[in-house]
Amino acid sequence: MTDTSQHNQPVSRVDWNSEKQAARLKKRYIKEKIFKSVAILSLGTAIATLLVVLISIFSTGISGFTETHITLDIHIDENIVGDVDNLSQEELETHIASININRMLVSSLQEKFPEVTRRADVFALLRLFSVGAQTDIREAILEDLTIVGTTVPISLKAGSDVDMLLKGNISRKVAESDRKISDQQIIWVDQFLSEGLVTQNFNWAFFTSGDSREPELAGISSATVGSFLTLLVTFMISFPIGVGSAIYLEEFAPKNRLTDIIEININNLAAVPSIIFGLLGLAIFINFMNLPRSAPLVGGLTLALMTLPTIIITARAAIKAVPPSIKEAAIGLGASHMQTVFHHVLPLSMPGILTGSIIGMAQALGETAPLLMIGMVAFIVDTPAGITEAATALPVQVYLWADSPERGFLEKTSAAIMILLAFLILMNGLAIWLRQKFEKKW
Amino acid sequence: MVNKMNILNVNEGNTTSVGLPEPKIKARKVNVYYGENHALKDIDLNINPNEVTALIGPSGCGKSTFLRCLNRMNDTIDTCRVEGNIFLDNQNINDKKIDVVQLRARIGMVFQKPNPFPKSIYDNIAYGPRIHGIANNKSELDEIVLSSLKKAGLWNEVHDRLDASGTSLSGGQQQRLCIARTIAIEPEVILMDEPCSALDPIATAIIEELIEDLKNRYAIVIVTHSMQQAARISQRTAFFHLGKLMEVGDTATIFTNPTHEKTKDYITGRYG
Repeated sequence: MTDTSQHNQPVSRVDWNSEKQAARLKKRYIKEKIFKSVAILSLGTAIATLLVVLISIFSTGISGFTETHITLDIHIDENIVGDVDNLSQEELETHIASININRMLVSSLQEKFPEVTRRADVFALLRLFSVGAQTDIREAILEDLTIVGTTVPISLKAGSDVDMLLKGNISRKVAESDRKISDQQIIWVDQFLSEGLVTQNFNWAFFTSGDSREPELAGISSATVGSFLTLLVTFMISFPIGVGSAIYLEEFAPKNRLTDIIEININNLAAVPSIIFGLLGLAIFINFMNLPRSAPLVGGLTLALMTLPTIIITARAAIKAVPPSIKEAAIGLGASHMQTVFHHVLPLSMPGILTGSIIGMAQALGETAPLLMIGMVAFIVDTPAGITEAATALPVQVYLWADSPERGFLEKTSAAIMILLAFLILMNGLAIWLRQKFEKKW
Repeated sequence: MVNKMNILNVNEGNTTSVGLPEPKIKARKVNVYYGENHALKDIDLNINPNEVTALIGPSGCGKSTFLRCLNRMNDTIDTCRVEGNIFLDNQNINDKKIDVVQLRARIGMVFQKPNPFPKSIYDNIAYGPRIHGIANNKSELDEIVLSSLKKAGLWNEVHDRLDASGTSLSGGQQQRLCIARTIAIEPEVILMDEPCSALDPIATAIIEELIEDLKNRYAIVIVTHSMQQAARISQRTAFFHLGKLMEVGDTATIFTNPTHEKTKDYITGRYG
């Protein structure tokens, strides 16, 4: 009966072949094209910006991973070294650290450049080398005591200015008064170069040493360890509390006005500027609880406050995404509410929770402002051994170096940013890997 | 005549006539509210042991709600309020002193959509015995898994891949896995909420055979939209309409000689 009624229906009001429809169609196509091109344009802009940032960081920073060495014949003067025959290893190290290496270096330099006699010129010559050159000589002696009394070639760390000159960061063309390295020094460097005594190699010390006033000696070890300890505290505090709150709010809390207010405020907290958390940390942890200043403990606690909302929100979303049928199945089998949550809901939502937590951690890793407030902006040479010792963090180290006037810190800044980016990419990669590995289908 | 007796029986409440077995579950004056919505009105119904009781009726008539009252699944819905008494072996399950977790172990449930845990087949079945401490050791647990799978008619298909995920099975197999999981904790009653609605006819036939078999051991209550299914597998049928229990009786009687006009309309397909 429905068949016949369809035949009786009036003819369609739309003539799909009319010019009006063709025009409409054309207009629609144009609109779609415009939208598509705008989208591609904005995507292109985003990618281009990202590329500009990355390229500028990489091109500046990549040279931060190399260092310049100048090989010099050093006469290891037995009079300076003194009697080392009957010393234990420990005594030997203390002794070598106390001897006047500088004199050894100066006399060796004068041997190589006998024409240099003026005191000022000798100092200019000496400045070609880093303060770290003394360490190189000390290590050479400690490594092989038989060189005492002989003249041996030792590869010495060059000063930052020489390093910059060779990397092209200081131009030879600018007037002498406008650059840190004098014409005479350039002549000496060129002499070393022509004799093939200058080498450039990978700067391992950048990863193993702490901050320094000398750019060629500065490393990220203390900042990396500081960041690690800070994040450890952050994770230990914010993960259990965050996941616990999420489970309670999502599974057990009654739905009433109070929990609504709590929910809204957690969402608001996620949008609070991070420096506010820094002020809070300063007021509570340092001024009220008298915890040590500049310590990863306080930094971690402050960042934990900042990360908590992120973890709670993502964990709640992950818990909510567990299908109710799984919960019903467990409850139908006589599992209690808590058993259901801990045997089924939590394991199933874990990938999501971990992803959210790691992204929160990555956010905390890149955070600078709150750490400035609680004093983690200090100049730290030693690698912190515990969470109560003074430390700094990677982004703060970047901030500190970016603020330094020496040309050599420019590449160190970019190099540190590269390390920071590498850690961030690593953490985000871990989050993606975890999500894909543990994601289950239901 | 038998039909009338049954209705009488329900309406009179606690009395049972001679010759009929003592009901496993007796529901008396059950009222359910979802917020303001009065979903079930004064339901009196007996569930007999070793019998399949089918609950039929149009969508939204309250049959699933009633089913979920029997193992207090409605507790999990915040806005739901249940009034009245439901006796399991003369014990009121709506009593505050009843431990709902134990109750749900005694009254198992199979859901509309197969919902195996995203774990191995073995762990799916072992989960219930584990949380209730039914098995004392690994070999006992193995034995429970084996016998449950056999009872659910799934053993031959999965015995060589007990480690495979429960979700990797086909829809019909998944539903039988859910049934195996339910009988692993040896319930007294099994509630089934449209267990075949997501399955194809072949899987449905297998499940129906299984239900036929299970009825020898358990009291089974099944909600179904398929009149043919109710007619095929149930001994007693209850017809729900707009939150009221319109009619209950022997399946044969209900389908051949219904008392109520509404029942007649529904089972002949003129309504609902």
